[in-house]
Amino acid sequence: MGKSFFGKCLLLVLAALLVVGTLSGVAVAEEKVIKIGTLFPLTGSVALAGQRCRAAVETAAEVINNAHPELKVPLAEKAGLLDGYKIVLIHADHQGKPDVAKSEAERLFDQEKVWTIIGCYNSACTKPASFVAELKQKVFMCGCSSSGALTERDFKYFFRMAPTDKTESLEFVEFIEYVNEKKNAGVKTVGLIYENTEFGKHAAEEGRMAAEAGGFKVVADVAFNPGATNLNSEVQTLKAANPDAVFGACLGGDYTLWVRTMKQMDWLPKVALNYCTGYQDPIITGQLGDDANYFMGGTGYAPEFAELMPAVAAVEEIYKAKTDPSVPFDSDSIQEAVALFIVAQAIEKSGSLDPTVVAETLYANEWESPLSMGGKVAFSPGGQNVKAMSMLTQLQGGEYKRIYPLDLADTEPVIPMVPWKDR
Amino acid sequence: MVTAMTLTGKRTKRDLFWLGLLALFAVIPLTPWFTRSTFAQHVMIQVLLYASMAQAWNILGGYCGQVSFGHSVFFGIGAYGTAMAVVKFGLIPWPGILAGAVIAAVVAVAISYPCFKLKGHYFAIATFAIVEIFNRLFMVWYWVGGALGLDYGFTQPGWKNFVWYQTKDCCFYGVLLLFILVFGIVRWIEKHRFGFYLRAVREGQDTAESLGVDSTRVKLSAMALSAFLAALCGAFFAQYNYRVDPPMVMSLDMSMKFVLITILGGLGTFYGPLLGAALLIPLQEYTRAYLGGIGGGVDLIIFGLLIIIVVVYQPKGIMGILDRVYVRFKRSREGGK
Amino acid sequence: MATFLQVAFDGLLNGLLYALVAAGLSLIWGVMDVINFAHGEFLMVAMYLSYWLGFIWKVDPLVSSVAGGAFVFILGALTYRLVISRTIGKSAMSALLATFGLSMLLKNVCLNRFSPNFRILQHTLLGGKTFNLAGIIIPLPQLVIGLVALALLYLIYLLVKKTRLGWAIQATAMDKEAAELMGINTERIYLLVFGLGGACVGIAGGLLPSYLAVHPEVGGLFSLIAFVCVAMGGFGSIPGALLASLLIGLVEAFAGFYIAPVFKYVAVFGLYLVVVMVRPRGLFGW
Repeated sequence: MGKSFFGKCLLLVLAALLVVGTLSGVAVAEEKVIKIGTLFPLTGSVALAGQRCRAAVETAAEVINNAHPELKVPLAEKAGLLDGYKIVLIHADHQGKPDVAKSEAERLFDQEKVWTIIGCYNSACTKPASFVAELKQKVFMCGCSSSGALTERDFKYFFRMAPTDKTESLEFVEFIEYVNEKKNAGVKTVGLIYENTEFGKHAAEEGRMAAEAGGFKVVADVAFNPGATNLNSEVQTLKAANPDAVFGACLGGDYTLWVRTMKQMDWLPKVALNYCTGYQDPIITGQLGDDANYFMGGTGYAPEFAELMPAVAAVEEIYKAKTDPSVPFDSDSIQEAVALFIVAQAIEKSGSLDPTVVAETLYANEWESPLSMGGKVAFSPGGQNVKAMSMLTQLQGGEYKRIYPLDLADTEPVIPMVPWKDR
Repeated sequence: MVTAMTLTGKRTKRDLFWLGLLALFAVIPLTPWFTRSTFAQHVMIQVLLYASMAQAWNILGGYCGQVSFGHSVFFGIGAYGTAMAVVKFGLIPWPGILAGAVIAAVVAVAISYPCFKLKGHYFAIATFAIVEIFNRLFMVWYWVGGALGLDYGFTQPGWKNFVWYQTKDCCFYGVLLLFILVFGIVRWIEKHRFGFYLRAVREGQDTAESLGVDSTRVKLSAMALSAFLAALCGAFFAQYNYRVDPPMVMSLDMSMKFVLITILGGLGTFYGPLLGAALLIPLQEYTRAYLGGIGGGVDLIIFGLLIIIVVVYQPKGIMGILDRVYVRFKRSREGGK
Repeated sequence: MATFLQVAFDGLLNGLLYALVAAGLSLIWGVMDVINFAHGEFLMVAMYLSYWLGFIWKVDPLVSSVAGGAFVFILGALTYRLVISRTIGKSAMSALLATFGLSMLLKNVCLNRFSPNFRILQHTLLGGKTFNLAGIIIPLPQLVIGLVALALLYLIYLLVKKTRLGWAIQATAMDKEAAELMGINTERIYLLVFGLGGACVGIAGGLLPSYLAVHPEVGGLFSLIAFVCVAMGGFGSIPGALLASLLIGLVEAFAGFYIAPVFKYVAVFGLYLVVVMVRPRGLFGW
């Protein structure tokens, strides 16, 4: 019945598609503009982190585009790049899905004609997106995806600012050795608790390797599914194995659930060290109140680091205005701002918009980066920032206190952590 | 018998339309619209891929009336088949594609044999449960990559490796072949005995049995075929995205897409899956492209609203709307005479 | 032994929570044969309501739960009027798809309005409090939720079995046409049932912020588990849903502790498959 009619309707649908497609193809040509794409999870379960990362990139773009002589960061003084180029950001959302990240990366490069992409927070999404960039010989700037595998692919156009989970794991073990020696902490066993995702699994593998290399015994290996309704069996498993130290990789809501469940079950390890997770989120730790205290973790930035990184505070004001509720930078989001600053400096220095030239310039130089701990950024083959440093902090009285490495520390760590009943 | 007669009578006309449609698809890559925009190419590829997936599901869910939310499992097995061949064993994808599809069919039969005992929502929930179980098992099965997933490296692009880096034309023809295969099989089924068995089982299992149709065997065959084709689509998905991990392919989200597209287009109809995909996929891709960057899920809000509106006002899907328009059109013409 | 009891107790408490979430679903499902896919999002909306009441006016979740119940009652009734009532009598799948669309809508409206932040209520009456019963640690918030679940399930049971309204609901569930002939306004019954189902999950959502963080994605796993609880118990059977929820809570806890935490939901969903293989209409199904 009436198939010819359906045929007409089908043709109509296709025609509509064609029109939409043609419209989208019309690009507005503008002078002196460098388009830069951002690709973060703006919806889905890690949307919070993604939206903060986007705000951080916006902050950096604002500093670069406008004259901010009061800020002591590169490119702030004059407006724009090269001779008057402005950065225009094009935002995209990958929803935490690798297939969407891949197709959005293609769209940003081909349709929006972005010059580089900054992203993608989730390591699983950064992989296919940067693969696309490498194929197209475009620079891909990765702020905070922590999976070590990303920089082991020998890509030529891929650069990552944050330390990998491998660096962090080694630092954790170093720290435990230090407290064993100096504070008689007596840590012999290690437990792992992590969300069973690309990020968590990778962090846990590195943690296990580092711990075993340091001569510690891994007595508990607890993976859980993110977005859990409860973490009772997870914490119960840890409690039963009773490791002296725990390496944790629990994001967002799971982190609060983990801490609160440990309190409920009245159990704590002597040392609890966290990868880049809920621990670094000042809002989450603030909401946990006193319960968040004495936990430790690798931290790339916290407002308490003002004396180490004096230039950040002024930039942070811009960032605070862009986030709702207003928050300071955190370890993850600040790396995305660094990513834009570094690539902008490389463009300025090479005086060219040829990705190959800029990539070579990125490798050839050591970059000033007041927003990075240590103040420097330099890349090794594969694109890892070899100057990336992570500081170990401990929450004491609701503040991130620097405890390790010693030359940058300002506070003695409280080891073992104060048991729940004595708080 | 009457339906069979009318179907045979109209066969040439319908097939002409079908062939014309394919010819139209085949020349799309030559149009400037397609060559100028890789995003348009991507959307077109997605439309054909999701139409094929939905059609594969339609064999079981539409024609046979067994609504399964478990098809992402078979889709995933297909994706893993090819990814294992390429990433783990360093082979070309083709043996992996075939192996994945066969394994998917076998798994489908093994799972559904006991599940077909269940009726209505009990069956639907069971398929949910199966997706969750497979998802979580694959997350910890380290031989196939576990939570880390499988990532493709660089290889020689071309038909041999079924990857292309610089252009999407061949990708488009690849998915068009898949589309022709899936839709062709369903077209063939529609006109043959097996198709009548399927619809008989849908309309009433007991009646069908009393007429000598072995309903279990019909359902199992439909399941096997449906899973086999879904796995082929999964293989294409993996090749296209250079990566597989469990949340990408074996998730309730993915399962819902099979169901949503078919029902939106028209359950148990031949063109339904294509219409559903042609509406839903561009909507999804373009809203995300133009509104996703704002954040705040505006694209998904519109998407959710649209689903509600279509379902509430025309539960038979777009095919139902077209039918109604057609009937009115015919009536007004007859009235004019 | 202490550990075993502790694990069992945690499992039971979680099971009661699942029962509370599943109760409303069971009611709707039993009477109307509709899968409400937005059930988890109803829960989330109530959690947000409870959070904001607590955050702005310092109302304790214990009190907010009443407001949550009332609010989701209205939300449920509206959903029925605007969406579900138009799908009744059409294909069985259309209600499911419409509520799927609704769940997407609600989740992203909340994301849009409240941002994806994880929100935790501090200083609640119950939050973080535990007591020790012969070596077993019992968290107070979960215990209260468990007791509320038992009370609520009993009330629903009484309502359905012992009141005139309940008989009308049962009649409508069994045969809509016949019930209409008997003078029952089935449209109003459906509206009421959908509202009541919403109210149950609203109460659950109102209580949860006393120990769980609120965010737009919080409902997902809860609704999935609620589906399994209801189907495993046998559609429409309140005692069945309770038993199934407790079983699921226990299996989750034991599999999580004695096998491995990653397998806990594999065990839960596996249990459902095993149960329906043996009893294709659930534990108490008819």
